Amino acid sequence: MDLREMVKAWKREVLGSSDEGGKRGHENPVTDTGVEIEPVYTPLDGPHGSEAVRAIGLPGRYPFARGIDPLMYRNVPWIKRAYSGFGDPTVCNARYRRLLECGADEIVIAVDLPTQVGYDSDHIMAKGEVGKVGVAVDTLRDMELLFENIPLDSMRRVSMLGNSFGPFALALFIALGEKQGLKPEQFVVDLQNDSIKEYVARGTYIFPIEPAVKITADVIEYCSEHMRHWYPCTVCANHINAAGAGSTVAAAFALCNAAVYIRELVKRGNHIDNVAPLFTMFVDERTDFFVTVALLRAARKVWAEVLKTRLGATSAESLALKMTAYSHGGETLLEPQNNIVRITLAALAYVFGGVHSLYNASFDEVLGTPTEDAAKIAIRTQQILTDEFGITTTSDPLGGSYFVESLTQTISEEMLSEFMEVEEMGGSLEAIRRGYIQQKINEGAIRRQREFEQGKRTVIGVNKYRIETSPPRGAFRIDPKAESRQVERLKSVRKERNQRTVDEALVYVHEAAEGGDNLVPAVLEAVRAYASVGEVCDVLRSVYGEYEGREYFTSKR
Amino acid sequence: MRVVMGRRVRVLVGKVGLDGHDVGARVVARALADAGMEVVYTGLRQTPEQLVNAALEEGVDVIGVSILSGSHMALFAEILRLLEEKNARDIHFIAGGVIPTEDIQPLKDMGVAGVFLPETTTRDIIDFVVRLVDDSLKADKDLQQGG
Repeated sequence: MDLREMVKAWKREVLGSSDEGGKRGHENPVTDTGVEIEPVYTPLDGPHGSEAVRAIGLPGRYPFARGIDPLMYRNVPWIKRAYSGFGDPTVCNARYRRLLECGADEIVIAVDLPTQVGYDSDHIMAKGEVGKVGVAVDTLRDMELLFENIPLDSMRRVSMLGNSFGPFALALFIALGEKQGLKPEQFVVDLQNDSIKEYVARGTYIFPIEPAVKITADVIEYCSEHMRHWYPCTVCANHINAAGAGSTVAAAFALCNAAVYIRELVKRGNHIDNVAPLFTMFVDERTDFFVTVALLRAARKVWAEVLKTRLGATSAESLALKMTAYSHGGETLLEPQNNIVRITLAALAYVFGGVHSLYNASFDEVLGTPTEDAAKIAIRTQQILTDEFGITTTSDPLGGSYFVESLTQTISEEMLSEFMEVEEMGGSLEAIRRGYIQQKINEGAIRRQREFEQGKRTVIGVNKYRIETSPPRGAFRIDPKAESRQVERLKSVRKERNQRTVDEALVYVHEAAEGGDNLVPAVLEAVRAYASVGEVCDVLRSVYGEYEGREYFTSKR
Repeated sequence: MRVVMGRRVRVLVGKVGLDGHDVGARVVARALADAGMEVVYTGLRQTPEQLVNAALEEGVDVIGVSILSGSHMALFAEILRLLEEKNARDIHFIAGGVIPTEDIQPLKDMGVAGVFLPETTTRDIIDFVVRLVDDSLKADKDLQQGG
């Protein structure tokens, strides 16, 4: 009997005829990203044997589905990131030291919302928000305090998001390195610097979208010339998925956004193989373990194929996509200790998928800013996964699983087709103008809420096995005086600095913006002179204008 | 039931401050609209002033704000102060998002009619809004009849 016949017979015997359908175990579950899961997978469901080796390759080889490094974590374990920031810089410095003492490889500075959208701590829009979702960084002085007694070269990497104002974030690190006596080649900086996704998810936009793309590209271009070992742009699927798009579509949109930045850079005369290696992708899947594994494998494959065949990249560094992820998503407010297990499983899936850097949510993050103990557990979880249980002993340990290979194939086909859909529309800027991406996100968000309310997604302790407990108390409190302390600090920086140097630097920023030059050198001068984020940003607002939100809607008839 | 005392319930859903996470706001806005209410969603980055002015212009019964940034205490106090100042305390104010449990009572004491945490169903929010508007219209009517 051939395999096809065997599988057919098996299905007949096990599942019976179709009119018996609906019995428990007979209906195929559908994953959050829309893949229907069969009861069993066989070589019929994907590429296998020598065909598979040709299709998916080997670790460290094109199309990199099995990982970007031949020896993967045997060679270098993934970078263990800690995302942290709250209050004002002095309080935060103590937390950073503790996280590094626990063995974190990278501090990702969470900055507060005013800083993210280019307002100083004493701006009217900053009232009540200073130090809330992150630490306030108004000037270089705050960076000096944040990293007091933490040399930048003592970490594998150091990071800040800097989505809408990447040049400022980049300049802060270059200037802080100078203060610490370090040259850029002695340490590694990693930025998110992905402005486009802010217009469809997350919402920390500042400028209209076209100058935003230019500003993002400036940072990548500057790094490609001066610090090629830095990570100046992380295209994000994370926020697009979290907002509702689903993980496959979100990764496709992130790839579309990367294509916008790459084309902008190529248009300026940069060779694609000079800029493409500097990109990373922030993937995200929060519901299905095996989909996560397949997602990372698929995203690397699709990236490699698109960059090679559509964008014309040729070097292995351009085609091998480094990915970061955030173990996070299914946490519950009720019985929050259970979140440790959820986060561990999410992290394991990303590791099986071959992630390059990873951070874990803290189990109490659903309550607010993590406590120190919870942040420590988040790092310990990653360390346990690296060094205990033999998880990292071989590359792509799930490669060859009928199920995982089939999922990888299905997801890569869908990702590529969604990418092409947007390409045919004219790229992601046009798709955003038409509201196409927003609509995909909205539909997904409503579907998820419906599934949650219908109990289709089981959440232990919430809609299954629930016992009556009151939601936990004891959320971490931000020092309420942090805002006024920060405002005072900013005032004294303004008093102490050489105002003439600041004014000259701001004129230089204005000229660079007007002239369409790369903004980084001018912004770096301003940062060195202790100009504040709001001052530099206001100059750019005067040139580029501001983005007017378009989220308003009404159901009134 | 979405028609209380002969007219549709009107709700303004908004985001105040700089927080850009609007999945919750959009999902709730859509659910309220699907339940037959008139819903206006403000979009991101409203100041308390803009939000209250929009509520007055739209003549809403309820303002619902979603917030995940931890800035709720300062911003909500300002919204309630403005409602008071503009003689609009008959507009109910409800909120949802990432809000520590121990802040709920102080917020209610301040005048927030309802606080909804993650894992709330849209059904619960719809029912709450209907009850809120229903009760206050009844109270108004009793007052008119009594006086």
